[in-house]
Amino acid sequence: MTWIQQLFTRRKIFSDLSEEIQQHLEEKTEALMAEGMSRQEAVRAAKREFGNVTRMQERGREAWMWPLAESLWADAKFAVRQLYKNLGFALTAILTLALGIGATTAIFSLVNTVLLRPLPFPEQSRLMWLAQQDHSLPGVAPEALSYPDYFDWRAQNHTFIGLASYTGGGITLESGGETQRLDAEEVSANFFQVLGVSPILGRDFRWEDEKPGNRTIMLSYSLWKSNFSSEKDIAGKTIRMDGHSYTVAGVMPKGFQFPLENPAPALWKSIADDAEGKDPQTSQRGFDCLEVIGRLRAEVTVEQAKSDLSLIAGNLARQYPDNNKQYSSALVESELQHITGDTRPALRLLFGAVTLVLLIVCANVAGLLLARGSRRSSEFALRAAIGASRAAILRQLLVESVILSLCGGAAGVALAYGLVHESVKLMPLNIPRIQDASIDGSVLMFDLAVSLATGLLFGVLPAWRMSRSAPAQALRDGSRGVAGGRGQNRIHSGLVIAQTAIGLVLLVGSGLLIRSFVRILNVDPGFDPKNVLTARMRVPPDGLSHDHNIQFYQQLLARISSFPGVLSASAGWPAPMSQSSATGSFGIEGRPVAKGDEPSESLGLAMPGYFETMRIPLLAGRTFGEQDGLKGAPSVIVNQAFANKYFPGENPLGKRIRPGVGDDVFEHPVREIVGVVGDIKRKGLTAGEEPQYFLPYAQAVITNPYLVVRTSGDPLLIQSAIRAAVREMDKSVPVYQVATLEDYISKSTAQPRFQTFLLTGFASIALILAAVGLYGLLSYMVVQRTLEIGLRMALGAQRADVLSMIVRRGFALSLFGVGAGVAISAFITRLLSGMLFGIPPTDPATFAATTVLLLLVGIVASCVPAYRAARMDPMTTLRDQ
Amino acid sequence: MMILRSLMREPMHGYALVQHIKQRSNELLQVEEGSLYPALQRLLREGLLKAEWETSATNRRVRTYRITPAGKKHLEREMSSFERMLEGINLVLSPLES
Repeated sequence: MTWIQQLFTRRKIFSDLSEEIQQHLEEKTEALMAEGMSRQEAVRAAKREFGNVTRMQERGREAWMWPLAESLWADAKFAVRQLYKNLGFALTAILTLALGIGATTAIFSLVNTVLLRPLPFPEQSRLMWLAQQDHSLPGVAPEALSYPDYFDWRAQNHTFIGLASYTGGGITLESGGETQRLDAEEVSANFFQVLGVSPILGRDFRWEDEKPGNRTIMLSYSLWKSNFSSEKDIAGKTIRMDGHSYTVAGVMPKGFQFPLENPAPALWKSIADDAEGKDPQTSQRGFDCLEVIGRLRAEVTVEQAKSDLSLIAGNLARQYPDNNKQYSSALVESELQHITGDTRPALRLLFGAVTLVLLIVCANVAGLLLARGSRRSSEFALRAAIGASRAAILRQLLVESVILSLCGGAAGVALAYGLVHESVKLMPLNIPRIQDASIDGSVLMFDLAVSLATGLLFGVLPAWRMSRSAPAQALRDGSRGVAGGRGQNRIHSGLVIAQTAIGLVLLVGSGLLIRSFVRILNVDPGFDPKNVLTARMRVPPDGLSHDHNIQFYQQLLARISSFPGVLSASAGWPAPMSQSSATGSFGIEGRPVAKGDEPSESLGLAMPGYFETMRIPLLAGRTFGEQDGLKGAPSVIVNQAFANKYFPGENPLGKRIRPGVGDDVFEHPVREIVGVVGDIKRKGLTAGEEPQYFLPYAQAVITNPYLVVRTSGDPLLIQSAIRAAVREMDKSVPVYQVATLEDYISKSTAQPRFQTFLLTGFASIALILAAVGLYGLLSYMVVQRTLEIGLRMALGAQRADVLSMIVRRGFALSLFGVGAGVAISAFITRLLSGMLFGIPPTDPATFAATTVLLLLVGIVASCVPAYRAARMDPMTTLRDQ
Repeated sequence: MMILRSLMREPMHGYALVQHIKQRSNELLQVEEGSLYPALQRLLREGLLKAEWETSATNRRVRTYRITPAGKKHLEREMSSFERMLEGINLVLSPLES
C-alpha cells in the first residue's frame, strides 16, 4: 500500500480500530458479568484492565502516521486556532516581529547585494585588483600604475593569465551636429578577456588596437540601443568622437559593466589615443593613472602573486629611480574585496544594530508570551493533569511561537521589500552595487531562518517556564490573581531590563552618530557653497588653439556675468568634493633636491575671480587677475597649509617654485607666489588641511575647468541659460556635470547621513519597543496584583501611594536597564570610533542625554498602568476577587 | 512475536487473542489489555497480518486476524534469532564448571 492510498484509507482503518476496541470492551464486560459482576462493576473492571482507551487508540493510529510530522501539524492547527481566538495578542506580536524581522531582512539584503553577492564574471574569485605600494607614505598606500610600468608587469609576471588596465575619462560623441558627453573607459586590449566576457556583436579588442592610429571602441548595450537603435551591422562602422574617427569593434552584452561604479561607462575605447603624439602617455613612466585588474592562474595564491609582482616592482624601482623609487612592491587583493572594502564597516555596523533591534523584539514578544502564558496556566495545568507530557506542552508552545514568528517573517518580507525599495533612493551612490539591492532567494532563505530562530528564541523561555508549573498548584490558583509566581516575574523583569539595556546601546550609538554628523555639517569648508552652480564643458582641444580656448571661457564668463541674478562667475579646477583631483611635483628655488625626491602637492587651476566667486578668503598678496595671462609673468597662488609647510615663519610672497606641470605654451616655468588663500576642504568635510597650489588657467590649459556661477537665487534656474549661451557660441561644445556646490557637499556626506539616518531609525524602534515592554510588564503586574492593591487601598493606602509604588517599580527596572546599557555601551561604542568625527566614542554628553531620555520614556511608560492602578475602586476589586 | 505465534495456530480476534496469551503464560504476563491494539496495528501496517470482519461463534461482529505468508517468514526468522539469544543467555548463566 503506498502512502497516498494510506492517506485515503486511514479514516476507515481508524474507525475499524475504535469499533474493534469497543467490541473488545463489550465482550470483556459480558464475560465479567457472566462471572457474576453487576454491569456497572463489569464496565469499570473491563476499562481498568484495558488501560487508557484514548491513549491506546492514539498509539494504534500512530502506527499509520509519521508521528512527529503529524503531531506538529496538529499542534500547528491548534496554535492557529488559539492565536485566532486571541487576535489582539497575535497581531501585536506579529507586528512587533514584522518590524524586527523586516528591518533585519532589509539590511541583510543590502549586505547580501553589496558584500556577499559574487561579481558577475566567470570565476570571479580569481579576479584581482592590483596596485603599487607607495612606500613614501605610512601604511597601505596604493598608487596607480603608469603605462610603461603596466606593460612591464603584464609581460614579466608568471602568476596571472592576464593583466588588464583601465582608466576613466569622458568623451564627446558627435552625431548630426549635436554633441553628447559620455563616460568612457580607456582599456587595454585584453580587458574583456581578463574579465571573461565576450561581445555579443562584432569582435573583441586585439593587440593591434593598442597601437597608434588604431582608435577602436566597444559599445555598451545601452548606448548601442539608445544611440544606434540596436543596428545589427554596427561592428566595423566608424564614429566621430572628440574630433577623431573611431572604429566600432563590437557591442558588449546587456548588463555588462566594469568598473562597477556609478555612472556605468557608455563605451570602452582602446588605448590607441594615449599612444599617439610626440611624447605619448604610453611611454611616460611618471604618469601614474592606470587601474589594473588581473586574472590569477589556477592554483596560484594571492600571496604568490603578490611576491611575483613585488619582485618586478622592485626591479623597476632600481631601474627607474626617478619615477619608481618609492614604488618597490605590489598590492594584490581580490576585486570583490577591493570594491566592498570601504563599505564593510558601515554595513557591519548596520547589521549589528539591526540584530540588536531583533533581540529587543524577541525580548518583547517573550514578555508578551509570558504574560499570556500565566493567563493560560490553568489550561496547561489541565492538560498536564489529563496526561500531556511535559515535552508535548513544550512542543505545543514552541509551535505556537514559531507560527507567530513565521507570520511575522512573512509580514517582514513585505516590509523589507518596501524598505529596500524606498531606501535605495536615499542611499549614497558611491556604495558600489547598492542600486541592485533586491529581495532574492537567498534573502528569503535568510528571512525564513531568522523567523524560525527568533520563534525558538523568544518562545523557549516562556515555554520552559510554563511546562514546569505544577499542575495541582496552577489549577488551584488559576482563576485567582494573587500569587503570580515570583520566578515568572523575575524572568519578565529580566527581559524588560535586557530590552532597556540594548535600547540604550542603540540610542547611544545613534546619538554619537548624530552628534558627529552635526559636527560634520558644521565644518567650515573654506568656501561658501550656497547658491553656486558648477558645470563643465569640453572645448575640443584640437579645435581651438590655446589662445582661443582661454578666449572662449573669457567670453562665456562675460556673458554669464551679465545674466540677471548672477552675482559673479568664474572657472577653476577641481570643484571641491568632486571626483577630480591631481597632484603635481615641484621644486623650490634655492632648495635643490635629487630628482625623484621633489615634493608633490595637490594642484588646482583658477581663472580671475575664482577665489572671489567661491568666497575663499585671500590671506596675503593678491588673487589672479588679467595680468596672469598669456603674456604675464608666470605666477602661482598657494594656500595657508602650503605656506605653513614649506615656508614656516617666512613670508611666502615673492618666493619662487617650479611646478612640473604645464601646457605647450608654459612648459615648466619658475613661478612666483603672488598670493596666499585660505584652506578649503577639497576631499570632504572630514578631511584634514591639505597643502594646495593654484596655477592661473591661462598659463596652464591642462584640463577643462568647472564653471562656478554664484547667483542670488536658486542656482539651478540659470542652468538652461548657460546651456543656451554655450550652444550659441559653439554648437559642438557639450555641457556636462551640472551640479551645485551644495550637491557636491551633500554627496560627500551621503554615507554618514545614511548611517545616521538608519541607526537613528533603529534606535527609535528600540526606544518604542523598550517603552512598550516596560508598559506591558507593569500593566500585567497591576492586573496580577489587583487584589493586593485593593487590600492596600482598603487598609488606607492613598492613591498617590499606589501610583508611586508602580512608578517606582518601573523606574527601578529602567534604572537597572540603563545601568547595564551604559556599561555595555562604554565597551561597544569603541567599534564606532572610525566613523565618528570630532567626538570620542565615550562622549559624556551623548551618554547623559540618552540615559535621561530613556529614563523619561520609562517613567512615562510606567505612568499609564500606575494611573490605572490608582484609579481602582477597592470595593469593586475585592468583590470581584 | 507472541501474537504471531498465537495466530500461527488459528486466526483469532483481539479479545480472544488477549485471553489466549493470558492463559498460555499462566497469567504471568500482566499487561494492559489495550496495549495489544497498537501492536496489532503495527503488524497490520507491516503486512505481517491481515484482518477481516467476521461473525464469531457467539454471534458477535469481530475482527479476525490472520497471519500472512510474510508474517510466517518473519516469525521463523525472529524465532530462530530469539532462540539463539536464549541459547547465549543460557550458556552465560549456566553453572560454572570447576
